Amino acid sequence: MGVAGLAGALLAGCAKQGATVQGQQIHDLYVLIIILAAPVFVGVEGALLWCVLRYRRRRGSDGRPVPQGAGGPRSLAVFFAIPTVLVAFFFLLGERTLADVQRREPNPAVELRIDSFQWQWTFYYLNEGFFVTGRTLTKVPVIALPVGAPVHVRLEARDVVHEFYVPEFLFMRNALPGRPNEFTFTPTRIGTFRGQCAEFCGLHHDQMRFVLKVVSQADYAAWVDQQRKAAQRVDCDPTGPLRLVSKDNSWNTGCLAVGASGPFVVSVSNQDAGIEHNFAVYDSAKRRRTYFQGPRFVGVAEQTYQLRPLPKGHYYFECDVHGPAMSGSLLVK
Amino acid sequence: MAIAEPRTTERAPEPQRHWLVQWLTTTDHKRIGILYLLNSFAFFFVAGVFALLMRTELTAPGRQLVTTNGYNQLFTLHGTLMIFLFILPVLVGFGNYLVPLQIGALDMAFPRINALSFWLLPVGGLTILSGLLAKGGAAAAGWTSYAPVSEQGGAGQDLWIVGLVVVGTASILSGINFIVTILRLRAPGMTMTRLPVFVWSMLATSLLMVLATPVLTAGLIMLFADRRLGAFFFNPAHGGDVLLWQHVFWFFGHPEVYMLILGAWGVVSEILPVFSGRPLFGYPGVILAFVLITALSFSVWAHHMFATGQVEFPFFSATTELISIPTGVLFFNWLATLWRGQLRFEPPMLFALGFIALFLVGGVDGVWMASPAMDFAIHDTYWVVAHIHYVLFGGTVFGIMAATYYWFPKITGRLLSRKLGQWHFWLMFLGFNLTFFPMHELGLRGMPRRVADYLPDLGWSFLNQLATAGSFVIAASMLVLLVNVVLALRRPRTAPADPWEGNTLEWATTSPPPVHNFDRLLEVRSNRPVWDARERARIQAAEGRT
Repeated sequence: MGVAGLAGALLAGCAKQGATVQGQQIHDLYVLIIILAAPVFVGVEGALLWCVLRYRRRRGSDGRPVPQGAGGPRSLAVFFAIPTVLVAFFFLLGERTLADVQRREPNPAVELRIDSFQWQWTFYYLNEGFFVTGRTLTKVPVIALPVGAPVHVRLEARDVVHEFYVPEFLFMRNALPGRPNEFTFTPTRIGTFRGQCAEFCGLHHDQMRFVLKVVSQADYAAWVDQQRKAAQRVDCDPTGPLRLVSKDNSWNTGCLAVGASGPFVVSVSNQDAGIEHNFAVYDSAKRRRTYFQGPRFVGVAEQTYQLRPLPKGHYYFECDVHGPAMSGSLLVK
Repeated sequence: MAIAEPRTTERAPEPQRHWLVQWLTTTDHKRIGILYLLNSFAFFFVAGVFALLMRTELTAPGRQLVTTNGYNQLFTLHGTLMIFLFILPVLVGFGNYLVPLQIGALDMAFPRINALSFWLLPVGGLTILSGLLAKGGAAAAGWTSYAPVSEQGGAGQDLWIVGLVVVGTASILSGINFIVTILRLRAPGMTMTRLPVFVWSMLATSLLMVLATPVLTAGLIMLFADRRLGAFFFNPAHGGDVLLWQHVFWFFGHPEVYMLILGAWGVVSEILPVFSGRPLFGYPGVILAFVLITALSFSVWAHHMFATGQVEFPFFSATTELISIPTGVLFFNWLATLWRGQLRFEPPMLFALGFIALFLVGGVDGVWMASPAMDFAIHDTYWVVAHIHYVLFGGTVFGIMAATYYWFPKITGRLLSRKLGQWHFWLMFLGFNLTFFPMHELGLRGMPRRVADYLPDLGWSFLNQLATAGSFVIAASMLVLLVNVVLALRRPRTAPADPWEGNTLEWATTSPPPVHNFDRLLEVRSNRPVWDARERARIQAAEGRT
């Protein structure tokens, strides 16, 4: 009964079919391993139970001699041969699936660069020219991908090791500082899938989540359009001295505004103990022109930066250590 | 004129030193063994309480008991203490007490080094724990302390590094001591092919301790240099490599897993024959399996790193799957030992049978992770938490409990209650499966490891509640053990020399043995000298009657 319960639980668990082409192959491998492993498991537990029931010492059997045979080379050979055959078979199965999962798509429909850091993700849509990011502890990034189209990912990390993991894709991959990883997946099912960092990455590891919506081609095109427009629509008004506060690797605001009258001061308070931040101003998220770049400093500390006068317009500021996830608009009015 | 008083020719008796001084300065392997056991169980208690706090925190989404930082410290300390200060030392403790007895020796080869390697343990363990008093708390980067997360953190992380270097030194020293003891101090007739299986398992463990632990020490020193001396071993911004830590750590870490299980295999391979009245089936096969596993354990480390995407998949998956062949051989031999025996279900036997049943689950669920493609789906989820606990708790800790019930009469001269032992076993068996079996399903549902909190709408809550309930059943079973031990220690010393009809030499001396271990050594002509002697006596008695 316990055996049936185990097999049942494992089979129920594999109901998760894998929402990508690659995930389905991994799911098939999972089922194959069950088919191979279940007889071994049932056989050994069954033999154990049989011995316990059949060979328990009974009243009156005291003194009856117990067979003292302890096997020889033949049993040894058999004991080695059985697992060897199983293992060889299992190895070949695994290699076949591995090759499929690792195969890289030459013509991906979407090229993503995923940047990870404590404790947030930034998703750069390389061909569409925008990015999506969240705010640590307050906003989870939500991205969309078209169904049935191969997605190529370049996965990077800025500070420590993280891990891109979407349970429904049956796939995870480490994001390693200094060692980018690349992989391809093709979503096969429309739906909302949750992902989160799976490699322990410090204090707020458990909050490092993202949401991945797989949508129809038409919905995807509309979403891309909306993202592009939103990037240009930020606005706020000058309200006195400029002050930025970073806490849990998030700025307190995404919009700073200043009158175009002359030099101005930005004070930056870094509340993140042991973590570096800085303040820099660029033309846009593409960072083609640098207007100001303050030195990095470790929290908890405060720095005040003097900036030269800037012509009226829309600028982009960020912390260079954490990139777009710690960015915003600087409006000179 | 004063006359000199006649001098007494008798030497003044050695002043009887205070019992505490005796214990603090002892070099007797039996006393050191007892110190190991006491120290290990104390850390087991602390690490177990940490586990209960974690399970309580995870009962429901949201924050119940501890802060996120507190939770991260709890899982770091739980893993570190269980692995480095409970499981390995408790096996070494049994080894310390029993290896010299089982090979018919007077003591370990280097008694003073033996004392040193014990005393380093509480020092190292308390150093790690003292991080709790540091600003920012104790180490909170996991027992694997992956760089560069482990390069952040405050003084607690430094104390963790220093403490582990100390504990590692203890391991290396005691490994050397065991190897020399086993190779050089065996009694006449005790050839290597007659060596008790437990001694073989300790020899294999010791080889791993001596060969693998220095690699960890090197890694820890690199980590410390990065943190405090401005080195860049693991910092890619300055030409270092984050994967270097993982390679170094797991090159130690996988042999470490076998250090943690080999001793338990040895215990079970001793107990099954005794309580089924049969010899260990395929003794040479078991030894061969130990040797092969010891050797192969150095070639599988990167299976912990499949998810990095940057290791040689076919090689490491092949070696990992190869190591399951000798492990399979062990299972066959254990079953064949039981086959056609006369099984007595005393508490040591219950735990040994429980070991086989549960360790098998850990062996089978590990098969999924040995295949890299499958590992991408379950690595770093609760599946792995389930797997490691089926191996190290369902496996090793059940083995340790078997050893505790088996050798308690030898060590203390008192018998533990059979009834309480049965209660302990069934509660622990039930609680263990209730705690850890649901974690397989949690992993398949996508719950990552080492998260202090989870969202309510992911379908993880009920399984987490089962696991928490189970963890308290395990705690209750440990209370039964404690009561059993306390009651036994209050009774007089009545245990006979050989309460179980054992096979090996420790049963051929009093319980507990005298300081010098043996008044008279038995002749050793097989790997079951005590069985031989009993059998000879039975035959002689039968002949005398006719």
